[in-house]
Amino acid sequence: MFKKILIANRGEIAVRIIRACRELGIKTVAVYSEADRQALHVRYADEAYLLGPSLARESYLRGDKIIDIARKCVADAIHPGYGFLAERADFAAACTDSGLVFIGPKASSIAAMGDKAVARATVAKAGVTVVPGTEGEGSLRDDELLAFAPKIGFPLIIKAVSGGGGKGMRDVRNLDEMPDLIQSARREAESSFGDGNIYLEKLVEGARHIEFQIMADKFGNVIHLGERECSIQRRHQKLIEESPSPFLADDESLRQRMGAVAVQAARAVDYANAGTIEFLVDKDRNFYFLEMNTRLQVEHPVTEAVTGMDIVAEQIRVAFGWQLSHKQEDIRWRGAAIDCRINAEDPYNGFLPSSGRITLTRPPAGPGVRIDTGVYAGFEVSPYYDPLISKMIVWGETRSQAIVRMRRALEEYKIVGVRTNIPFHQTMMDTYPFITGKYDTRFVEEQFSMLDAAENRELYLDIAALLATLVAHEQMEHRSQIYGQSGQKPTWKWAVRRTKPNL
Amino acid sequence: MKYIAEVDGLEFPVEILDEHHIRFGKETLEVDLTAVSGQPLYSLIVNGESFEGYVYPDERSWQVLLLGRSYSVNIEDEREKRLRTSDAGLACPGREFTLKAPMPGLAIAVPVTEGQQVEKGQILVILESMKMQNELRAPYAGTVVRLRVKSGESVQQKQTLLNLVASISSTH
Repeated sequence: MFKKILIANRGEIAVRIIRACRELGIKTVAVYSEADRQALHVRYADEAYLLGPSLARESYLRGDKIIDIARKCVADAIHPGYGFLAERADFAAACTDSGLVFIGPKASSIAAMGDKAVARATVAKAGVTVVPGTEGEGSLRDDELLAFAPKIGFPLIIKAVSGGGGKGMRDVRNLDEMPDLIQSARREAESSFGDGNIYLEKLVEGARHIEFQIMADKFGNVIHLGERECSIQRRHQKLIEESPSPFLADDESLRQRMGAVAVQAARAVDYANAGTIEFLVDKDRNFYFLEMNTRLQVEHPVTEAVTGMDIVAEQIRVAFGWQLSHKQEDIRWRGAAIDCRINAEDPYNGFLPSSGRITLTRPPAGPGVRIDTGVYAGFEVSPYYDPLISKMIVWGETRSQAIVRMRRALEEYKIVGVRTNIPFHQTMMDTYPFITGKYDTRFVEEQFSMLDAAENRELYLDIAALLATLVAHEQMEHRSQIYGQSGQKPTWKWAVRRTKPNL
Repeated sequence: MKYIAEVDGLEFPVEILDEHHIRFGKETLEVDLTAVSGQPLYSLIVNGESFEGYVYPDERSWQVLLLGRSYSVNIEDEREKRLRTSDAGLACPGREFTLKAPMPGLAIAVPVTEGQQVEKGQILVILESMKMQNELRAPYAGTVVRLRVKSGESVQQKQTLLNLVASISSTH
């Protein structure tokens, strides 16, 4: 087995990978930017090396420096986590060229799936259904796109071939508005990815986003670990994931067909290691290949909760050259798991990112609750990186038990210093569409409102009024004690026993 | 000390009796409040019922986050309340009011123009936020000066939308 692994990432995922290494008896190397000197991954690792300034492109995106550090400290392998260098074929190739094992698929598999248009053509050739669009047509000029559009039919979506994170995407309702939307999509794709190439895809309305976790070894064994339902999204960013998908709950044959197609898509690019096949599923239960993420997924713990597997440990084992530890028929799914991404975003203020120092954090615990985080009291949420504070995953024997448990855990979770989207999750757990599992990818943006859904929650107007009054009174007394008339005793002592800080 | 707390249009009179007792409306309650680790997270026990919530001061009100809901609470002590009520509607001539966006949103209609005379309660701006249309009204009669928002424009929270100067004749 590997003796030492360098983790080319930060935050909760770096901590997650260090944990797997610890349990496997592998030494860990952290790399960090100036902003992350005190971060948990730096403190948990056996060794830690500074990469450079806080900006990602001067630190976590410096593949050359990372490989240099890995060689100097004699690491055997590099785990890229997700984001940053995880889906850069050139980085994977550079690792291999330097004699380091890249814990992920081969560079050629990353490249094949990285260009979304090529990926669609590749899997379509292997017999996998894709959302109808311009697959197999290569890069098209504006006039060609306009000519092709009516064949696909409206509404359709313009997407960037190098896309991700919703950048360079435009919904098109008719031909008239299309030329302008092509221009703006190209501009955005060019500035985000340095590649203005775009393709067209039919817009599947009322669709759900359901993905399958793939695990493959270097001997051609490919299995799937079931699905994750990821339709609770805002601006193409996932907020809640769950497994099993409530949509597939009563349709085992559809699940099996999708799983088989996911395996087929992975085989089409000679895939090894962990990966995720994303599908769109329409109201009539037709499913289409969307794309493949050739890396560990943020929401992987949902699958770990229902299968009992450690996906990161399995990644390391197959990267070392072992066979998969399970056969498809050995995989058993038990209960239901839900993941809420806790972001430093204010749901009462247009989900604006909130940065600042976390002064207190009290994560929930108890049965069936898992928190993956890289933050602690004193941590500075900086504008340099993504707003993910933690992932909270709960498991229950049934979906309804998981929802009740999630509500309980969300209420226990206290974070002071930055605004978080915990109230969003609390509100979501009370909405009828979520409870009944009848939601699609447009739910958050088109139907959900913090105000409407909050109607279902019990009102505590009186307690809120009382709490605010007592706090206001305490602060006024506090002020008058400092600035007030000396010698004159306040008529009323504080109702507050202040706990001394720094104890 | 007596306070009036207003939340969602409802008024709650609170009288602080001593360290652990308050009069809340007609009831006398035993209360115990403590800040958790010196942070703006408070544990409150009221007659044996335990609550935990965040309390943050805002520009003019207090924001309370309690059991998954956010509340905006306005607090006045009795003296302030008296001052305000004797002042209500009786805008001092020339007094200027700045209308700020209470939340981020889209100004879907601005039915006034600069220099226009408006009545008390007249709609100045309709702000759409979280799919709700909020009618922002004139607190007293006056003249719109410095209109800084256009219909169709997105606004940030607390962004100044317009200024209103109270009319000389304005009594109500």
